Amino acid sequence: MTAVLTPARPLVEAREPRRRVRTADHVAGWGFAAPAVVVIGLFGLVPVVWSFVLSFQHTDLTSPGTFAGAANYAKLAEDPLFWDAARRTLVYTALFVPLTMVLALPIAVLLNQKVRGIALYRMAVFVPLVTSTVATGIIFSWLGNPQFGLVNALLDGVGLPKQGFFQDPGQALYAVVAMTVWGWLGFAVIIFLAALQNVPQDLMEASALDGCGRVQSFWHVELPQAAPASGFLLVWLTINGLQLFDAVYVTTKGGPLRATTVLVYHLYNEAFVSFDGGYAAAIGCVVFLVILVFTVVQLRFNRRTSHFEAR
Amino acid sequence: MTQGSGLSRRAVLILGGVAALTAACGGGSDGSGGGKVTVWHGYTDHEAEALGKLASRWNSAHPEQQVELVFNGGNDGALQKTLASFVSGNPPTVAYEFGSSLNGLAARPQTQDLSAAVRDDKDFGWDDLFAAGRDAATVDGKVYGVPALVDNLSLVYNKKLFDEVGVAYPTESWTWEDFRAAAVKLAKPEDNRYGWAYVNDGSEDTVWRFLALLWQAGGDLLSSDGKKAAFDSDAGRQAMQLLHDMAVVDKSVYLDTGDQQYVNLFNSARIGMLWTGPWDLGSINEDVSYGVQFLPGKVTHATIAGPDVFSVFGDSGKADAWPFLKWLLSAEIHLEFALETGHLPIRQSELSLPKYAEFLEKFPGNKVFVDNLAKNVSKARPNIAEYPKISQALGAAVQSVLLGKEEGAAALAAARAEVDEILAGS
Repeated sequence: MTAVLTPARPLVEAREPRRRVRTADHVAGWGFAAPAVVVIGLFGLVPVVWSFVLSFQHTDLTSPGTFAGAANYAKLAEDPLFWDAARRTLVYTALFVPLTMVLALPIAVLLNQKVRGIALYRMAVFVPLVTSTVATGIIFSWLGNPQFGLVNALLDGVGLPKQGFFQDPGQALYAVVAMTVWGWLGFAVIIFLAALQNVPQDLMEASALDGCGRVQSFWHVELPQAAPASGFLLVWLTINGLQLFDAVYVTTKGGPLRATTVLVYHLYNEAFVSFDGGYAAAIGCVVFLVILVFTVVQLRFNRRTSHFEAR
Repeated sequence: MTQGSGLSRRAVLILGGVAALTAACGGGSDGSGGGKVTVWHGYTDHEAEALGKLASRWNSAHPEQQVELVFNGGNDGALQKTLASFVSGNPPTVAYEFGSSLNGLAARPQTQDLSAAVRDDKDFGWDDLFAAGRDAATVDGKVYGVPALVDNLSLVYNKKLFDEVGVAYPTESWTWEDFRAAAVKLAKPEDNRYGWAYVNDGSEDTVWRFLALLWQAGGDLLSSDGKKAAFDSDAGRQAMQLLHDMAVVDKSVYLDTGDQQYVNLFNSARIGMLWTGPWDLGSINEDVSYGVQFLPGKVTHATIAGPDVFSVFGDSGKADAWPFLKWLLSAEIHLEFALETGHLPIRQSELSLPKYAEFLEKFPGNKVFVDNLAKNVSKARPNIAEYPKISQALGAAVQSVLLGKEEGAAALAAARAEVDEILAGS
């Protein structure tokens, strides 16, 4: 009996200091986080709130604006350029995200092998990601130059017709897809690779003992284990796809014939070419909302389908 | 690829972050008071060097009025950066701006009205400046800057290619037909060689060459009261027809995507003729023998000037900056600058200075540009707030014709509807 009773007192006594420690922890924790909170608040939150306010004004961004009510949003509903841009953004994202993921998975599997010089191969795949979009854009513009580009020289060499790429209104958006998939592939590969390397060895051994071949254990063990990574990539790439801007700015400037004028590029045009700041802010808020909805839906869906997220 | 982190940050930073960013990046330049003059410019290489030399000469003679030159990262973003500096409350005293940016600056309280200064200060010699430069600096009859650069489009051609195909060099009286026929002879599509190059990115670079064509055919961009589009006319259709015939039928035109490769291709004898300004002459290789001529004509040989300006900002900016700007634009000092950079004179009186002969000897190609300025620059782009939108609409029309996606008449009609709507203030 005494053995059971004795710990009771110290436990009660211990509660007080522990709570004090917890408060102190909180203070220290917030202390550590404070610089980041301030920076994110200042450069992330304030502009978001400010652009929301701007979207209800008529403003050229420098002189004080006047209250516009919902006029900017009403204009948005009737602006054919906005709806065209929205359609292009969706087409772009619907191609960019799955293509990047489908191409990245087999490459990640290949890079998950134990062969000589694997570090070099892994680095090679990652290089496009750390290359600036400006450099990538200039190189792709030259490669895809209709008259003098290397790609057309190759097509010509094997007897195929030359293409317009960035200069053809029917092809430019797909050329941007190709360029950005190339640029983001390394990122997706690294995420998949990390997921594959996290698959516990005991699971692989167990599946081998149960008679799984290499292909079967990939489908039934490794792939389901990589599901959370796919979920993350899906969200992350979709966000970036819907925000496409820099790749367009350095290659086609939204052309030819507005064929690559996606939402954020349209926003840029309105804000910094036409100086209609309120309207541009309204576009920004809509893009924000769309991405928010996409992300919430995707996260919900992932949570339901991925069994291993808790790990 | 750059890593965008978090959505709205990128989308919204572009918009909202301008203020915060400038607050973070600014500093250094204090445009107000103290007599110190901060000048934002986009010059690089020998141009920056030449301006730097003049500024240090000014500084050693005027210790009480120091000038600080600040590179703006390139003039393409000058307007955006200047506007951002307004938001941060820390504008430069003087900034180099494209002429087409002035209508966006004129309405701002920070931008100084220099009308009184240029009118009252007789020594400045406002009327001595070329009309193209004066027009570019004037919005609604008020002067919002002084000309920093005056140029125009002329025909630059590769003599060796003309010799090779046996076509006589262009003359002052060349017609559109002569021009088109020469382009056909110069072009060898199977060999990736072209007669002419056209910047086809739909930007103002696309539009101003079309304006020259439109004016040559006797047309105009807007009605005389500036309230309606006037380019959907016989002249407009003829100009579009020429572009269609050359780019789509003859395929003798290299369509530049806006990355300005046309200069490199001209250097490697892939393009026979350019419509360009003196700024490109410095990029033409020494071993390329080229000639310069007026643009070909239809009704006239009209060309277009693309002047840039120095604008002045802030309440005390005018008093602080005026002595330096006046000195910088005086005939002798500017000719000195021109002699180092190949820029055209901006004043009539520069042509009668002894050093002008030296200038022509050093830059023989520039003689035609100077003559063209005096003879064929008769019209200017309208300095109105709607111009950027008008330019976008017209740029898309020209682009669709060059790419063979639309007939000239249809493209013009669509652009007219768009421009009329813009002017009506929808």
